[in-house]
Amino acid sequence: MNRPSGVAAIGYGATPYYKRGQSPHAERKLLLMAIDEAARMGGIDAADIDGFVSYGADLEDGPRLTAPLGTKELRWSSLVWGGGGGGSAGAIAQAEAAILSSQAETVVVYRATAESTSGRLSSAVIQGVFGAQYRAHGIDSPVQALALRTQRILEGAGVPRSALSAIARASYFHANHNPGAVGEAIELTEEMYEQSRLVVDPVRLFDSSRENDAAAAIIFTSAERAKDLTDKPIHLLASAYGADGPRWGEMDENHEPYIASSQASAGRRIWARTGLGPSDIDVMQLYVNFTGPPVSAIIDLGFCTAESAGEFLTFENLIAPNGVLPINTSGGDMAEGFLHGMGNAVEAVRQLRGESSNPVPGAKTCFVSGGPISELSSAALFSTEPLD
Amino acid sequence: MANERDQVHPFSARVDAPYWDGLADGTLKIQRCDSCREWRWPADWRCGSCGSYDLGWEVVEPTGIVYSWIRTRQPFVAAYADLVPYVNVLVELPQAGGARLMGLLTGDTDDVEVGRRVVGNFQPASARTIDLPVLTWTLEAA
Repeated sequence: MNRPSGVAAIGYGATPYYKRGQSPHAERKLLLMAIDEAARMGGIDAADIDGFVSYGADLEDGPRLTAPLGTKELRWSSLVWGGGGGGSAGAIAQAEAAILSSQAETVVVYRATAESTSGRLSSAVIQGVFGAQYRAHGIDSPVQALALRTQRILEGAGVPRSALSAIARASYFHANHNPGAVGEAIELTEEMYEQSRLVVDPVRLFDSSRENDAAAAIIFTSAERAKDLTDKPIHLLASAYGADGPRWGEMDENHEPYIASSQASAGRRIWARTGLGPSDIDVMQLYVNFTGPPVSAIIDLGFCTAESAGEFLTFENLIAPNGVLPINTSGGDMAEGFLHGMGNAVEAVRQLRGESSNPVPGAKTCFVSGGPISELSSAALFSTEPLD
Repeated sequence: MANERDQVHPFSARVDAPYWDGLADGTLKIQRCDSCREWRWPADWRCGSCGSYDLGWEVVEPTGIVYSWIRTRQPFVAAYADLVPYVNVLVELPQAGGARLMGLLTGDTDDVEVGRRVVGNFQPASARTIDLPVLTWTLEAA
């Protein structure tokens, strides 16, 4: 049997982004509906999906889905271990590994979260995440830890505040054209950004994403099979996850380099595998839990340096259709809806299929950065064409 | 952020127990490898540089430099709600290989910025500090 030479996405599905706690459906039902939508688009029977991958301690493991999907054979079920949303593109890498090795043939990558199942964020996500070195001092929320790192990006590395606001404004600008995006009706101006309240200095309200109840899924198969199933296969050119050691991991704010996103390792391997580089990227989907981490990611991936970040990260450069590097063309984590990064990969496939609400004319490549400054990070590169 | 160090019981079995014991005695102790002399922080069971399991603790001056800082304006932590807004500093200890500690900044917080020198103050365990002795910090006169 010949092993596949490449992997492609054949379909995606996403539920609406409900306010946290307001989904009319249970978490698993949301997910099943997202998978069904992806299967319909991909021209397959959902029962033919034989691999399941998620990340970030998702509760919906593969064996919980096989009965309602009528799965004919389960061949792969895995979760990216560690890193929270940093594993968002790592789940894609596990799907790629499963397909290229012929462990599985049709793999769905997904994320689902609803308060009715996963509980309140304060108990499901926050409580117990931070160790004694944080909690003894009044630090027990992701925004506080990310604010420490963001402050160092600003005061330590000298990146101007305008880089953060450009990320936020580009996200909302794209959401303004995306019906159903949580930020559809918010036209974020520089003045609104500057006047928004400080939550944890230096992080303002408009520097922050807020989790939604939602589910999203992408179905992958071999590139060879994909072209028989859909006229719009989106090729996964490369994916990778990990981090550069030795001083990276769960280190109570002692990781080095401190303001890095942990994207350098995954990014380096993506460029090496594909022979492509930042100048070859037409569209970018960046993980934005807060606006500091995507600035680090852009620097780590080689699009600019800390010194040139202010010049490169401007609203005009980051918006579709004509920006130098349009980012988060659905509105992204911040303004479309926050599903711990899963929406970014969905938008990458959607954009390259020509179905984005903010199309980038002629876009052939889209980079997905799963890097929220976490212990483990990930990236994926999609294209309308396979590698030569 | 979540780590095994917080899941070891009893508390005295934690790898960083000597750190907390030191604070209770009014000394700041940081872990250091007995074999290669590298500072190890956060504390762990094995030296990532040389592979040794012989890790000791050294007393260092409770002074440092503000590496980063935040001002929390919402009551994310119930035990600190009455202090909102409060400032936390991430303090670099050059005398301990650049190890960094988090802590509350007390006294003048208006002039906090990256690079300012700070002095540590030993505080007894309290309900606010999850029953652990802690160091709080104050800005050294500029």
